[in-house]
Amino acid sequence: MADVALSHSSAITSRQSFLNPRRRRLITSVVLAAICIVWVYPLVWMVSASFKSNSEIFAGGGLIPENPTFENFVRAWHEANIGAYFFNTLFVTVGSVLITTISAALMGYALGRRPFPGRATLFGLMLFTLFIPQGYTIIPVFELLSNLGLGQSLWGLMLATCGHSIVIFTLLFAGYFSQMPKELEEASRMDGVGPVKTFWYVMLPLSKPIIVTVVVMQTLQAWNDFLLPLVITLANPALRTLSVGIYSFRGEHFIDWGGMTAGSTITIVPVIILFLFLQRYFIDGLAGAVKG
Amino acid sequence: MAGVKLTGVAKKFGAVEVIRGVDIEIGEGEFCVFVGPSGCGKSTLLRMIAGLEEITAGSVEIGGRRVNDIDPSERGTAMVFQTYALYPHMTVSQNMGFGLRMNGVPKPEIAKRVAEAARILQIEPLLDRKPKQLSGGQRQRVAIGRAIVRDPQVFLFDEPLSNLDAELRVATRLEIAKLHGQLQGSTMIYVTHDQVEAMTLADRIVVLRDGRVEQMGEPMELYERPANLFVAGFIGSPKMNFIKLRATGDGGQPAAELPDGSRFALSGPEANGAATLGVRADGLKPVDRDGVFTGEITVVEQLGDAVFVYVRTPWGQEIVARFEPGAKVRVGERISFALGGRTHFFDADGRGLTGVTPGNTISEARLSA
Repeated sequence: MADVALSHSSAITSRQSFLNPRRRRLITSVVLAAICIVWVYPLVWMVSASFKSNSEIFAGGGLIPENPTFENFVRAWHEANIGAYFFNTLFVTVGSVLITTISAALMGYALGRRPFPGRATLFGLMLFTLFIPQGYTIIPVFELLSNLGLGQSLWGLMLATCGHSIVIFTLLFAGYFSQMPKELEEASRMDGVGPVKTFWYVMLPLSKPIIVTVVVMQTLQAWNDFLLPLVITLANPALRTLSVGIYSFRGEHFIDWGGMTAGSTITIVPVIILFLFLQRYFIDGLAGAVKG
Repeated sequence: MAGVKLTGVAKKFGAVEVIRGVDIEIGEGEFCVFVGPSGCGKSTLLRMIAGLEEITAGSVEIGGRRVNDIDPSERGTAMVFQTYALYPHMTVSQNMGFGLRMNGVPKPEIAKRVAEAARILQIEPLLDRKPKQLSGGQRQRVAIGRAIVRDPQVFLFDEPLSNLDAELRVATRLEIAKLHGQLQGSTMIYVTHDQVEAMTLADRIVVLRDGRVEQMGEPMELYERPANLFVAGFIGSPKMNFIKLRATGDGGQPAAELPDGSRFALSGPEANGAATLGVRADGLKPVDRDGVFTGEITVVEQLGDAVFVYVRTPWGQEIVARFEPGAKVRVGERISFALGGRTHFFDADGRGLTGVTPGNTISEARLSA
């Protein structure tokens, strides 16, 4: 009996010595690196392909181009109008981020901190809209824009793009504002500061993590949106955004993979830069939102 | 500077009446403390004076002006919150100057007032720090500084020391007392549940319970002449001992009977109504014989400057008595007490009786005779 116990404990000891913290860290790193490689492979392939000629892409070479060329980028930027689409997308994205962030913060502030009749109903209705798939609302949205005379303009596209996630953002702000101590507002009220200034100078600066989260998420949403810009710009190719523009590399008989990958690479650069700058705040904001 | 007058002030939250017709008059430059147990309505009353809570009935006057419907910032009050309520994203000086800046006061004037407040509170080296870089005591000083720069007629403190540890609480309490001296003439209203804070700071204490004023007066007046059982039990540490009495007339001479049947004579116009005897720890004197009661020592607390002795009476009640330092007392000893100091008598409704004094112990021999 004692022998069994002894051998059992020695087995544990030997397993412990095999899985010492250093080795455990090494194994974890290797596993994570493998997952990471699978994860980033499509991205790396895309960037690599953008430097290859169309014939080289499927010739079975490695990820490093044999004859690196910028021709795809030049062709995409000038001939395929990616340059113009880039600025269309930038316009729509910046505009929708500004509108969404400011409106969601204002609505979230009212919903999170001001008791008013019908607040619960309004909350319920807003939540309900989250369950409606985007495809179902595109035609009515398009009709609304047409009635407003914005059906064929970037302003219309910008407004429609704001609608995607504004409810989620409003709820994020409402949750964040509702947790702030009421004494902050009361102190400001005692100082003779009105509700608008209190919002602007006290509450809004304190919601920086949520602002960053909303800016990043709305930027990604607007930048990568496909269905809505496709429908709105169907009759007016000059208004196309990048995601729709890239799709046009796909011809009836021929797909220009080089141009498409170059266009895609141009598309993701601003998003990556934005993420690199804001990732710390972004993660803080999400963590704050999850902590509830 | 201005006084504050509350007349018939009431507050209802829906059907719940939190403040029930309160009348208080606070003189100019007075330091008035509202004290009472949690939920007695003291903070609500303060917030009503500040303008953060609406007034259901009655009137609030500050400096002779009715302010019921006046905006908080126009009332000439400044409030220091329990949680400090500093703006976390602003530096100390920005925190203090925020209200002035938002109301268009010129920058040099703001800087001057902030510097002056910082000098009074000795927080000059902290002006560029953010609140999270400050200790609890420093934050509280900044919160007070924010009130000072507004140059208010009335300072309102809502349990400002509750979030501080015991040592810092005593130190900050002293600072506030000094501040009242420095800001000569400024009226201060201070809310606390801690009767020690009330006793040490106040010119006048208002004891509240269930939205009503139980008693109002100078600290020693409340200590020595509590109007009822509640005030008697609330003010003073350790708590006053209460002993149930049974009034027994002994041939026309009023007398009181303790729960164990021992008796002592009473005199005074209201002596016949005495239902409870109140005696503080320092009002019980140990005697060798003819004591009012005898009990067994259960706990001895050595505080250095005093010894508190807890005694179990024959009827099972625990009573505390104060002894001088160095007193030779041991747990388990039996000890006899006489009423050697100020005594308080209360009628069956808990109302304090005036002019009642205890007389001699009536011995068993006399009783049988």
